Amino acid sequence: MLKSRRTEYLVAAILIAPFVAVYGWMFLYPSLQMIQFSFTNAPLIGAGEWVGFDNYVRLFNDKIFIGAIWNTAYFVLLTVIPGTIAALAIALMVSRLKGWMQSLILSAFFLPYVLPITVVYLIWQWMLDVQFGILQQVIEPIVGQTVNVWRRLPWFMPTVALLTIWWTNGFSILLFLAGLRNIPREIYEAAELDGATRIQIFFRITWPLIWPITVLCLTIQLILQLKIIDQVYLFAQGGRTQATMTLVQFIFEQAFVKNSGGYASTAAVALFVIVIVFSVFQYQVLRIRVAQ
Amino acid sequence: MVLKSVKAALVASALMVSGAYAQQVDVTWWDFLGGGDGVRMKTLLEEFNTEYAGKIQVNATTLDWGVPFYTKVQTSAAVGEGPDIMTYHASRIPLAVSQGTLSEITAEDMAAMGLSADTFAPATFEAVKVDGKQYAVPFDTHPIVLYYNKDKLEAAGLIGADGLPSGLNGRENFAAAMAKLQEGGTKYGMALTTADGGFAFRLIYSYLCQQGGDLGSDGAWLPGDSPDKLANAVGLIADWVAAGQVPSYTDYPAAVALFTTGEAAFMVNGVWEVPTMVDLEKNGKLFNWGAIELPVMFDKPCTYSDSHAFAIPNNAGKEVDPAKHAAVLEVIKWMEAKSLFWATAGHIPANKAVTETAEYKAMQPQATYQPLTANAVFDPKSKNAGVASPLFDAAGNAFAAAMNGETDPVSAVAEMKATLDALQ
Repeated sequence: MLKSRRTEYLVAAILIAPFVAVYGWMFLYPSLQMIQFSFTNAPLIGAGEWVGFDNYVRLFNDKIFIGAIWNTAYFVLLTVIPGTIAALAIALMVSRLKGWMQSLILSAFFLPYVLPITVVYLIWQWMLDVQFGILQQVIEPIVGQTVNVWRRLPWFMPTVALLTIWWTNGFSILLFLAGLRNIPREIYEAAELDGATRIQIFFRITWPLIWPITVLCLTIQLILQLKIIDQVYLFAQGGRTQATMTLVQFIFEQAFVKNSGGYASTAAVALFVIVIVFSVFQYQVLRIRVAQ
Repeated sequence: MVLKSVKAALVASALMVSGAYAQQVDVTWWDFLGGGDGVRMKTLLEEFNTEYAGKIQVNATTLDWGVPFYTKVQTSAAVGEGPDIMTYHASRIPLAVSQGTLSEITAEDMAAMGLSADTFAPATFEAVKVDGKQYAVPFDTHPIVLYYNKDKLEAAGLIGADGLPSGLNGRENFAAAMAKLQEGGTKYGMALTTADGGFAFRLIYSYLCQQGGDLGSDGAWLPGDSPDKLANAVGLIADWVAAGQVPSYTDYPAAVALFTTGEAAFMVNGVWEVPTMVDLEKNGKLFNWGAIELPVMFDKPCTYSDSHAFAIPNNAGKEVDPAKHAAVLEVIKWMEAKSLFWATAGHIPANKAVTETAEYKAMQPQATYQPLTANAVFDPKSKNAGVASPLFDAAGNAFAAAMNGETDPVSAVAEMKATLDALQ
């Protein structure tokens, strides 16, 4: 018995060894190196000198970094919960459709998700172009003039958030739709027999039963949006990049534009901690909600 | 399609193998030339490969311009996997040298190519040197120029007896000219890339230089009264925007479109837009047009310029193969001699012998703006300067808002100086 258990452990160890090796080599080792790097003044390539906590002191006094934290938080606020609500609403509507109509509408919502960011960028850039953009026809009557939304700070983040929701929502909609289909029809039939209203059905049956999906969507979105860079980087290019800087963009800029690998690593460690804290916090909060 | 290209690759590699026996040298080439430049460079490379068949073959790869290109070069050279030769912006050389990415071009190398300092305009040749050492061979000078709609200018009486625009020097004259053009029914006097402070910085820097101002360099940015002069330069553009003579917050493609559709009579842009105009004109979709050196708004003529140059990466841990090095020099020598064709992309060949030929002098509008190389100003010698650099980034941040009246020029300059001074 004991022997066979030992063999089992051995087999298990051999089976997971390739993964552990690759994970350790490609992920764990570089991560540890990054932490070590954050205590040096290394350039992008090559070693640097040990500078202790200098980088950390500099980081927490860096106005652009503090700004990047706020910008990222603002962006997360604008996308994660609104995006998930929109996805749920769309999924509820799509689930009422039948057959090919459902497929058609669903694919219409999913289509932006398959586009690469570069294409999304070019589409929105032209749609909102201050001279020739079609969406300026909407903005002009409301605001009274055409607006370059990528250069006016109050417009920037909300616009990027809106197009991000448009771009990435297809995936959340799919998740919600799968969740909705898993709810047995009998429960709804029983509720209808008992005279429940549509609002009651939603809040008493649908919402609690797809809560795990909602948690999943929120967590995926949170981690994804904390790492926002592409859209903000592309749309702010040549403009007010400091005022719209996000955390990952800050890391990118320090490492690849300003050639300071050590300082970039410090910012990366900070982001790492922020993502962990937020994810654990959100998970705990959402679990409490389930326990209730 | 895939099969076809696999087959082509097989055939190519088979050729390469057989070529190797005949002592053919393969040269790996990287460039960042897209668009009209890229097409012309491919033509040149094909011609070279045909001429040197069996001796030297250039295998070229085109990469994305800007930060991606320079980062790739830096990382690959650090592990000895860089190309044998590459194109490089002169303005980016100081950073590359501080990173140890580039090999020095020695006096023997220059002699082997039959080139010397006298081959090039002094400012252009100075731009490829760091601390007196040469790190690249200039191929062209690519400044910004003033494009004009000749039909509109003629109607407004702004074309002189020599067929070129006249009466544009001085800020009052220029503003008056734009006003006259607008009275004649043109929507804007001039299209500028006002949404991109980084791009517009080329013009702002030119105006700084026209006042005798200086950007300075690391540790001493904007010395003396240069901040005031820089604010004047930004303020000039802000005035045009406020007066509705230049459209506000306009992106690069929109600025080009405003000019080519006749909605703006002037446009300031790089010489690399010349092929766009030539192609449109060929298809009968463009008015009569031309391009000239930037008019003088302040004290003296001066225009921002950069240079495409050929550089040899310092591939770490890789020994220099003399045969390959000789082949690389041969490629550069050939390109320098053939740069007349490169001029059709709008760029001014760095090789003075080429710009003095009758063929070049007949090339319009290139021959008209070529003399501006005497008044060219390049990026400061700093590892923080150059295209897509922290300097341009700082300018973009400060001036995008200032040109469009959201902040005032003086505080924008102060903001830019603070950013530059904080660079490490």
